[in-house]
Amino acid sequence: MTSISVLKNVHKKGLFGDHENKNEDSLIKVSERKNLIIFQIVQYKSSSISIKDINIDGLTLNDETLKVSNNNDTRILWCGPKSWLLVSSKKDLLNSINSLFKESDFAITDLSHSRAIIELEGNNSVEVLKKGCPFNFNELKKNNCVNSVFNGITITIDIIEDNPNKIRLFALRSFGESLYHSITDASLEFGYKNI
Amino acid sequence: MLHIKCPYCGTRSQNEFAYGGDATIKRPELNKEVSDKEWDTFVYFRKSPRGKHLEFWHHISGCRQWFKVQRDTTTHEIFKTLKPNEDI
Repeated sequence: MTSISVLKNVHKKGLFGDHENKNEDSLIKVSERKNLIIFQIVQYKSSSISIKDINIDGLTLNDETLKVSNNNDTRILWCGPKSWLLVSSKKDLLNSINSLFKESDFAITDLSHSRAIIELEGNNSVEVLKKGCPFNFNELKKNNCVNSVFNGITITIDIIEDNPNKIRLFALRSFGESLYHSITDASLEFGYKNI
Repeated sequence: MLHIKCPYCGTRSQNEFAYGGDATIKRPELNKEVSDKEWDTFVYFRKSPRGKHLEFWHHISGCRQWFKVQRDTTTHEIFKTLKPNEDI
């Protein structure tokens, strides 16, 4: 859980960009999430354990490109072959994760303090991402995720909702402010509300 | 801009990848006696072909996997991408 804000020096609440004479509901909402635990789960190449037998908070590890296994609290993002990112608001999940995975088969790394998380809400949020990211967003639907770049910054994009869009972006903590500036600059033309 | 088909993630923009060098180079066998010249050749000497070339690429901003790409060095046409353990 990231208790210390990554964006405390840059993220100010209010309305920005081209927001005048627009309904607040039509603006992009930009917020920072800092109450989530993040774990990287990597299965060793030599491991022969079937991932279908593993159950985390009622979810199984998915081996399909772009897919996210999810429930209300927890999301497991596919990051590559035998590699996942677990994101959850359940802090007590930490203890069960360590007992679920054998050290000889999996590497579990706590990344909770090393990521900046920015959430975008609103239908124009995809248009914002298209400005800096080369990925074809027409392919992405609800509960899809993708690793890509935004203005040269490596990011993970998680589509939580697609109507209206709710998108969670993860970047290395040290790139957080830089990503935030890139995102808010790209949002100016649509108008955005920092919450 | 190139579009490269990662064998794990699908087609992505070149921005997400890093070039990793000639994929035809074989490392001298482990525990085998290697002359300075053989080692020098393995480490430094590379061909610079005009036409089809098999090369390593790294999906560094994606799945972080290495894979092989067969590419034409003059037209940049990509003929095939393969997992590292696969051969053409």
